[in-house]
Amino acid sequence: METYFLKNDDQLKFYERLEQEYDLYVPVKAESALKHEYEGQAKLPSADYFLKKFSQVNKEEIIFNEYRTVEPTRAFLTHYKEDIGNYKERPQALCGIKNCDIFSLKIQDSVFLGGEEVDPLYKARRDNTLLISGDCPHFKEVCFCRAFDINPYPVEGFDFNLSPLNNGYLLDVASQKAKIIALSLKGILTPATLGQLSGRAAKRESVNRRMDEHLAQHKIPKKEVLQEIVLSGYNSGVWQDEIRTCVECNGCVFICDTCHCFLLSEDSSSENARRLRLWDGCLLKNFTKVAGGANPLRLRYMRLRNRFLKKFDFFIANLGYQACCGCGRCIEVCPGKIDIRRILRKLYEEKYIPTG
Amino acid sequence: MKKNIYQPVKAVIEEIIEETHAIKTFRLRPEADFNFATGQFIELTVPGVGEAPFTPSSDPGVKDSLELTIMNVGEVTSKLHTLHKGDVLGIRGPYGQGYPLDKFKGRDILIVGGGVGLAPLRSLLFSLFSGIDNYNKVVLRYGSRTSGDIVYKTLLPEWGKKDKVDVLVSVDVGDSSWLGNVGLVTTVLDNTGVDYSSAAAIVCGPPIMMKFVTLKLLDLGFQPPDIYLSMEKSMSCGLGKCGHCRVGKFYACKDGPVFTYEQLKDIHDIWD
Repeated sequence: METYFLKNDDQLKFYERLEQEYDLYVPVKAESALKHEYEGQAKLPSADYFLKKFSQVNKEEIIFNEYRTVEPTRAFLTHYKEDIGNYKERPQALCGIKNCDIFSLKIQDSVFLGGEEVDPLYKARRDNTLLISGDCPHFKEVCFCRAFDINPYPVEGFDFNLSPLNNGYLLDVASQKAKIIALSLKGILTPATLGQLSGRAAKRESVNRRMDEHLAQHKIPKKEVLQEIVLSGYNSGVWQDEIRTCVECNGCVFICDTCHCFLLSEDSSSENARRLRLWDGCLLKNFTKVAGGANPLRLRYMRLRNRFLKKFDFFIANLGYQACCGCGRCIEVCPGKIDIRRILRKLYEEKYIPTG
Repeated sequence: MKKNIYQPVKAVIEEIIEETHAIKTFRLRPEADFNFATGQFIELTVPGVGEAPFTPSSDPGVKDSLELTIMNVGEVTSKLHTLHKGDVLGIRGPYGQGYPLDKFKGRDILIVGGGVGLAPLRSLLFSLFSGIDNYNKVVLRYGSRTSGDIVYKTLLPEWGKKDKVDVLVSVDVGDSSWLGNVGLVTTVLDNTGVDYSSAAAIVCGPPIMMKFVTLKLLDLGFQPPDIYLSMEKSMSCGLGKCGHCRVGKFYACKDGPVFTYEQLKDIHDIWD
C-alpha cells in the first residue's frame, strides 16, 4: 500500500477526479433528530454527518467527518425496497466511511456474497463501489468500537483512506482501482514522509487512549465472552426489564450496519407483479410468524433476545466474529433509550459477578 | 448482472386432487425438468400474493412434474386453494438438506407423520420403496385428528400391502365411520417390530406432535442422532440470506429443513 500527502487545498480536485467516474457521495454536517443525552454532555462532540451526492452539495458544505455518519453504509449496498431484477446504476464512490462500517461490510459480504448462491444485485453494486474511508479523530458518546478491538481508523478493506494531518491528509492507496486514480493525480500527491507517518501514528494512539478512557465507565464485556453471556443469559430477566420502553419502531434494526434481514415481496397484486426485496427487522411482530398464526417470537422480549442471539451467538458460531461493530447507531436512534452496551454489561455481571 | 436467484420459473397446475376438506395435492408441470432430493423444499409463488415454502410430496424420480400437498391455512395457501387446472404458479429451488437416504441403508426405518406432515414423508416413502432392498423394513405410523383429515386415503392401504412395509393409521378423535385405531400417534409407537436401538426415526408434523413423538422415541431407546425432524419456520429467501428461519446457529432453509435431534437438542424453545 502506498501513502501520499494531499493538501487541504487540493481535496476538491481529488473529489472532482472521482466524480468523473463515479456517483460520488461526500460527508456533510447536518442537524438530525437524534438526541442522545448523557452525563457530561459537553465533553464529546455531538454533530451528525450524512452522505450527500457531490453533484448536489455546495462545495463549502463538504467536511471531513470526525466519526461515522448517521446512515449505515449498508444502505448504499442494499436499498430498503428495491426491484432485485434490475441493476442499471453508475458506479458509486462513498467517502466518509469509517472502520466500524468496514467491519460491518464483512457481515454484509458474508451474507450476500457467501453461501451457495451469490446475490447478483449486491455483487454488482459492491463491485461497482469505491470506498474512501477515513480515520476518526474523535468519537461520539455512543461509539464503542474499541470495546470489541475494532480501531477507530481503518488499515484494510478500503480503496482509499484519508487520515487528517496538519493542513491536509495522508492518503492510503490500497486497491488496483485506487492506484489507477492516484496515478492520474500525480500533480497533487506527494509521497508521505516518515515524519508524517509517525505523526499519524501518534494521532491514532491519542484517539485510542481517549476512547479507552471514555469506555471504562461503560464496562462493556470483551468480545471473547459475548457468545457465552448471551447463551447463559437466555432465561435472564434482563430481556423483560430492558424491553419495557421499546415501542417496536425497529429503528435499531434499520439503522444497524450489520443487520441484513429482508423479505421478498411482490410490488402489486397483479399476476405480472415484480419481485421486490425489502429490509425486514426481527423486532417486528410478525418476523417469525408462520401460516396458521404460530409465532416463536410472539413477545417483545423474545425478539430482543433473538436480536442478541443472532448478533453474538449465530454470527460468532458461523463466522468467528460478532455482528456488531460498536458504531452505537442503535443506541442513538432508540426512543426508549435501550442501550446495547448496558444489556451486554448486565448479562456479563449476571454471569460473572455473584450477588451478595 | 447474473441471473436473479430469487426469480421463480413458471409451473402450470396439471391436476388438483382433493385430499380432505382443507388439503389439496397440486401436480405442477414446470417449464423445464425439475430435480430435487427427497426432503428438500421449494418456494412456491402464487402470483400477486407471494411465496411460501413447501416440501414436494412426490417421487423425486419423476422429473417432469412435481406434487405439493398443501393445507389451506394462510394467505398464500387460501388463494392457492381457489386456483384451477391450467393456472400458472412459480417455483424456485430446491433448497436445503433433505433426508440422508444413505444413512438409512440396512436399518429399520420408523416414519411418524402427523396431519399434513405426511406430505414430505410421502416423497420419502416413494424414495424408500424404489430402493426397498437397501432397507431392513419401513414402518409408518400416521396420526390424524379425525378420519376426515387423513390424506392419501387410497395410497395408505396400498403401502401397507407392500413387502417389508407396515402401516398403521390412528386418529385422535374417533367416530362411527372409523374402524381403525383411536389415540394420539405417540400411543402407537410401542411394539412396532422396529429395533429401536439401531433404527432411524423420521418425524414430520405439527411442532407439538414432533415434540411429544421425540420424547417418546427417546424413551423407547432412540439416540438423538437417529431422530430426524422437519423444522417448520418462517422463511423467505430459501438461501440462508434473509435471516428469518434461524434455529440456534443454523438456518432451517440451508442447514435443514431436516435436522437430527442431536443438532437441535441444546437449542432453547425449538418446538415453539
